[in-house]
Amino acid sequence: MPVFRWGQNWNPIRDLEREVDRLLQGMNLTLQARSSRRFPLINLVDEGHRYVLTAEIPGVELPDLELTAANGILTLKGVRKAPPEAREDSFRRQERFQGAWQRNLQLPDRIDEDRMTADFTLGVLKVILPKVAGAVARSIPVSEGPV
Amino acid sequence: MNESREIKAADSDEDVRSVGSDGPRMLFNPPIDIYETNEGLVLYADLPGVKTEGLDLQVQDNRLSLFGRVVDAPNHANMVHQEYQVGDYLRSFILSDEVDHDRITARLNNGVLRVELPRANRPEPRRIEVSAE
Repeated sequence: MPVFRWGQNWNPIRDLEREVDRLLQGMNLTLQARSSRRFPLINLVDEGHRYVLTAEIPGVELPDLELTAANGILTLKGVRKAPPEAREDSFRRQERFQGAWQRNLQLPDRIDEDRMTADFTLGVLKVILPKVAGAVARSIPVSEGPV
Repeated sequence: MNESREIKAADSDEDVRSVGSDGPRMLFNPPIDIYETNEGLVLYADLPGVKTEGLDLQVQDNRLSLFGRVVDAPNHANMVHQEYQVGDYLRSFILSDEVDHDRITARLNNGVLRVELPRANRPEPRRIEVSAE
């Protein structure tokens, strides 16, 4: 554990905190899923004939992003690299997620995997998930009186 | 928690609302990294959905503040699963004199802001000639 850093008072509590954070990060997935530090965060909107998924994935390069759908489960995975010239012991604050991540999302309806499209702009991933024809809810007209 | 003396987060951790022309919007505290390099400090902030035009970065007195306005807040007509809310970003930091305020540079890429805070060059010690009366 580094004890002295340039221009900084000795702060054992902060060092301890950081060491514990690092330890927890090493334990990875099971812990992350239970805390609020999931990455990335996902929203899903039902637009009737399709679902629109958005996820905040700032700082991930497109080649490091992978999107697959199979059997009603959508999988997003990728890697968010650490800042280029940062050494582990040079951080004063480290709140941003870094490393490999994966999110699985169970889709409520069957989707047409061949017509899926995705767009990644300003660190926000947007995935259009068209529902298969049979999955779109049809409204059934109800008439009054005996049939 | 104690902060380093070059840069301090001067914010609270509470999310508040800002009022824009189109009504109240959510306002969030973006997550940041700060680390030291040979040249000074580097700050990263996650600002997904913010364009360069929507970003306002200011240094006034000793305070560095960033405000990021998201491009569009989509209507949540039928949200079936929600983990995050869309809103603007606000955070400010207290800089010390060790940071050269005039040479701060920033770049926004892929929803991530990178700010370079170069360390000020300390003036060379000046020898004062003492003469006898």
